[in-house]
Amino acid sequence: MSGPVSRPAIVSALLKKEFRAYSRDTIWLLLTLLALVAIPVAFLFLPDSVDESLTLGVAPPVSSLVEDARETLKGMGATDEQLAELDEADFTEEQEGLLLVEFETEEDLQRVVAGELEAWQTGSGELVLRDTEADEDEPEDAEKVSVSIGVAFPPDFIAAVAAGRDDVKVTVYSFADVPQEIQGAIESFVREAGYQLAGQELPVTIPEEEFVMLGEDRAGDQVSLQDKFRPLVIFMVLLMETFSMASLVSTEVLQRTVTAVLVTPARIGDFLFAKTVFGTFMSLGQALIVLLIIGGLTAQNWSLVLTILLMGSIMFTGVALFVGASGKDFMGQLFYTMLFTIPLLTPTFSVLFPGTAAGWVRILPTYPIIDTLYAAMTYGTTWADSARELAYAAFWLVVLYGAGLFTLRRKVASL
Amino acid sequence: MSLSRFAKILRKDLALGPRSPIFLWMILLPVVLTLILQVAFGSLFNPEPRLGIVDEGDSEITAQVEQMEGIELTLLDDAEELKNLVEANDLDAGLILQPDFDEALRAGDQPELQFYISGESYASNRIVLTVTTLDLVREIEGSEAPVTVEVVSYGSAGLPISMRLVPVIVFYALTMAGIFVPGSSLVEEKEQGTLMALLVTPVKIGEVLAAKWTLGLVLASTMAAATLLLNQALGANWAQVLVVVVVAGALSSMIGLLIGTFAKDSTIMFGVVKGLGIFLFAPTLFYIFPEWPQWIAKLFPLYWVLEPIWTVAIMGGSLADVWVEILVAIGITVALIPLIGLVARKVQTEMAAR
Repeated sequence: MSGPVSRPAIVSALLKKEFRAYSRDTIWLLLTLLALVAIPVAFLFLPDSVDESLTLGVAPPVSSLVEDARETLKGMGATDEQLAELDEADFTEEQEGLLLVEFETEEDLQRVVAGELEAWQTGSGELVLRDTEADEDEPEDAEKVSVSIGVAFPPDFIAAVAAGRDDVKVTVYSFADVPQEIQGAIESFVREAGYQLAGQELPVTIPEEEFVMLGEDRAGDQVSLQDKFRPLVIFMVLLMETFSMASLVSTEVLQRTVTAVLVTPARIGDFLFAKTVFGTFMSLGQALIVLLIIGGLTAQNWSLVLTILLMGSIMFTGVALFVGASGKDFMGQLFYTMLFTIPLLTPTFSVLFPGTAAGWVRILPTYPIIDTLYAAMTYGTTWADSARELAYAAFWLVVLYGAGLFTLRRKVASL
Repeated sequence: MSLSRFAKILRKDLALGPRSPIFLWMILLPVVLTLILQVAFGSLFNPEPRLGIVDEGDSEITAQVEQMEGIELTLLDDAEELKNLVEANDLDAGLILQPDFDEALRAGDQPELQFYISGESYASNRIVLTVTTLDLVREIEGSEAPVTVEVVSYGSAGLPISMRLVPVIVFYALTMAGIFVPGSSLVEEKEQGTLMALLVTPVKIGEVLAAKWTLGLVLASTMAAATLLLNQALGANWAQVLVVVVVAGALSSMIGLLIGTFAKDSTIMFGVVKGLGIFLFAPTLFYIFPEWPQWIAKLFPLYWVLEPIWTVAIMGGSLADVWVEILVAIGITVALIPLIGLVARKVQTEMAAR
């Protein structure tokens, strides 16, 4: 006869049983391994930068327009220094969201926009045109530039406008898939250039930029899709574990193995505790593995990120206990779990869109988890910044985990 | 094969089927995906610049912006609310038009343009909204533009992303109703022992399989057609669309039947569907990314049903345009019959040996 067994020993034995059962469940084991490999690989294919600029073709080159209008510009008050600056300026360098691609002739620009020619830009900024119909080789060490819209100025544009001629015509070449608002903006842009050259001041006063820009100016430093998806991917890993955990619990209920466990010295509390520890360990462990592979932890955010991940994994364990308590067969369980996880998944999409999430999304239990995770990983928010969200997440954690424990306890007691 | 026994099994499946959660998902998924992909992700792929206006008078600028295409306009009453929305990046830019703004412009008083830009807005959106606003201001002021702008357009506009996503939604409708429903129905019969019970009666395995296939065919065709209707892709040529949809239902249901016959239990079936997932899903990607080499899509079986749906339902083509694809799809469907027969015989032998 052996003596009484300690509670930690019982829980430890139950945990060993959980790990054994999980490793024998080949389908979930394989899917887990597949997810751990596939998720980081898919993540690598996401763009790590944001292209927020408009590419605009211009013919002839700006330097040529300036050269032809040197005397006119002088007459308008331009100094030699200003003209020298214009000579040296590289207009093909991207600035403030506008990338200019300069063409020597209007015909080149027209054919590139129409898709008859391809425009390639070399490392030194030189433009190479490739005739697609003639099946020419792609230029080496050059990158293809997509020019769907361009402006062809008359060579004497500056002088003609400054002289107040009324027959100045500018042609905007546009491919049909260019959005209407961009085409309209380019037309407006050309007209405004004309007004400025004609010396017609703006009919309004414009405040200083510092009064116009609201919030931190992120131009050129926008959050990339990869950065947006990083917290989303980690969150998905936590959520996916709900399926396997719910399946394990459901199998125990369906096959009534839990009743066998309870005829041993193990109590129902030990059973529930072991399930909680196992579920939390599995989801948190996988999330951490993926997090280490795709990055996202910094010296500033690690404690906050790990805390919110722990809260998320316990929350999803609670959901898994609740769903698994229904004791359905595999297919039934799968679709029943989906019924609960889809609403919980909804807040993750809010991070993909600009601005604040809709009110109904913000009341969902998982919103504070994904919101805090996103803010900490993307903007480096601190514990103090996230206090309100953490308190809200803690509230839902207690509710969902409590519901899971209560439901499974009742179910086990009824078996 | 007895038609009466076949009809009885089919009637039983149709009567008991709705109790399964898969039926619920089969109906819900196309609706949910349509909402997510068309409403939510449609704007993610093609975000329009968002401008908010507080018009304290009755400015023509507001009326002009309201008529513009490609700019998402939000009219607000409170200037502070507008600034908050711009700062939170709920709007790319905001414009506050004081009372008598237009009159002040015309009188040459140079009123202040209260224009705010969100720090998180994209640079391209800032340019679009800023130059558009300035152009409208010039127009209201009444000054004549010193240049004439002529627009020359080339090519034809590509399909919007919302239409290119339709094959993805149709794919899920076919997968749920055509593959999951007949497959899981067969597997559940195996797991619960009802298949063995059926086979000790005069019912033949062929009759069971035919009933399950017909169940998948009817549901997959119905759900695919409903999905097209939901996505406004069931036009005047609806009769031809129904033909391609039935062909799609026939093939997907045959694939479901093959998986259901092969899988011993639900876990294996789920694993097989999951494993085959990317192989079945792959052709839909070629509609989202038309610049990819299209011949690759032909390597995947569901291409041969998705292409006719694409051509006839979305592009407005006719059956004559896709007769080759339809023949290939029918060919694959017929070719799967002996394979299913072979697996079914093996399963029957195994059951008999128990």
